Amino acid sequence: MKSWRRFWRNRIEFYPAFSIFIWYAVGSVLSSLRVQNRPGIVTLGLITIPVVVVFIIAVRRAWRELPAGS
Amino acid sequence: MANDVRNRTGKNATGGAFITWAYVFLYLIIGISTYIHHVHPWILSVPDNRNVASWQHPAFEETAIYDRMTEEERRQVLKEGVPQGGDLTAQFATDLFMIIVSWFCFIHARANFGSWMASCFFIGSFIFTGLEESIWILTGRYLGGLLEHNPGGTFFGTYWFSKGGFWFFETPLVACLGWFAIAYSCVWVAGKVFPRMGLWGRAVVGGLIAMGTDLWADPVATSPELMNWVWAKGDFFLFFGIPFYNFIGWFLLIFLFAVIWEKLPDMERKWGRTGSSALFLTVCTSGTVLVALFIYVVWFLVSGGILHQFGLETVVQIPKGW
Repeated sequence: MKSWRRFWRNRIEFYPAFSIFIWYAVGSVLSSLRVQNRPGIVTLGLITIPVVVVFIIAVRRAWRELPAGS
Repeated sequence: MANDVRNRTGKNATGGAFITWAYVFLYLIIGISTYIHHVHPWILSVPDNRNVASWQHPAFEETAIYDRMTEEERRQVLKEGVPQGGDLTAQFATDLFMIIVSWFCFIHARANFGSWMASCFFIGSFIFTGLEESIWILTGRYLGGLLEHNPGGTFFGTYWFSKGGFWFFETPLVACLGWFAIAYSCVWVAGKVFPRMGLWGRAVVGGLIAMGTDLWADPVATSPELMNWVWAKGDFFLFFGIPFYNFIGWFLLIFLFAVIWEKLPDMERKWGRTGSSALFLTVCTSGTVLVALFIYVVWFLVSGGILHQFGLETVVQIPKGW
């Protein structure tokens, strides 16, 4: 609960991550469902996994960098 | 990114009269472009979504999507037009979605760097990407097909967007806003993951991350099932059906934009707010022309020419079937 409050108070710090996640989810993952019969579409998705890992690292860093007691 | 720039610019600083006028000018261009695109499409020879057979320079057979389609898919597109190409409600709904996504980035930019820096990023994104894309689209539309350049064949060097509610010249609002959100988020991600990296390093990593997200989204968006935009033939290297110069363009634009934008506080100290805003937007405008020229010369003429000399006769497609 405390973590959630801390997150909510500093939510603006996570807006870029939210933007890129939602864009990736809608623009890439969900849209791919329309073309799932194309050869290599799964491979193409797997190629971009490092990008998702980098997003997650950025969110963790942003969380750690929040001012103490906020 | 935040720590570097935040201390150099007033957090609550306003954009000033120049930025206000830039916004007015931007909205005016969007209004006029949207009106022309939907009401008088003949002015800019906008390809008709419902009548694919009427496409010229390039014709339907001269587009990359033609090769990606099965015979049955071609017949269907010729009969029914671009999938959901006439659904304006869906196109304006997509605009709304992208406005919300980019609004999050704008709020973050304003909270961390102040209104002026956030506005420069926002307006600069439109100029940088909207103008760049419109240059490619319109030069290709009117001058494409005049040059025979192997190994790509007849050179069009163009593409066009088939869907969009609001437009900035011939670039849909959704593309400009998408670029703004992705560019801002990716540079933010690069700054968080590699905090000790300098400006140039962050810009390189930001550009590569953006290219990574684009890698999956573009082949899907241009597939025969969606056809959100259409590529003309002419590039000698297609990656999942996308001309490779698209990815080079993405990287270069985000890399250059990130560098120029982070230099804004230094420019402000030298030339003041109005002067630096004007200089920033001028650099963005001329940057688009330079990037287009760079890709044309280095990618198409030099790289294509060298590969042709080494025996490359046909277009390289990775993988086949896209």
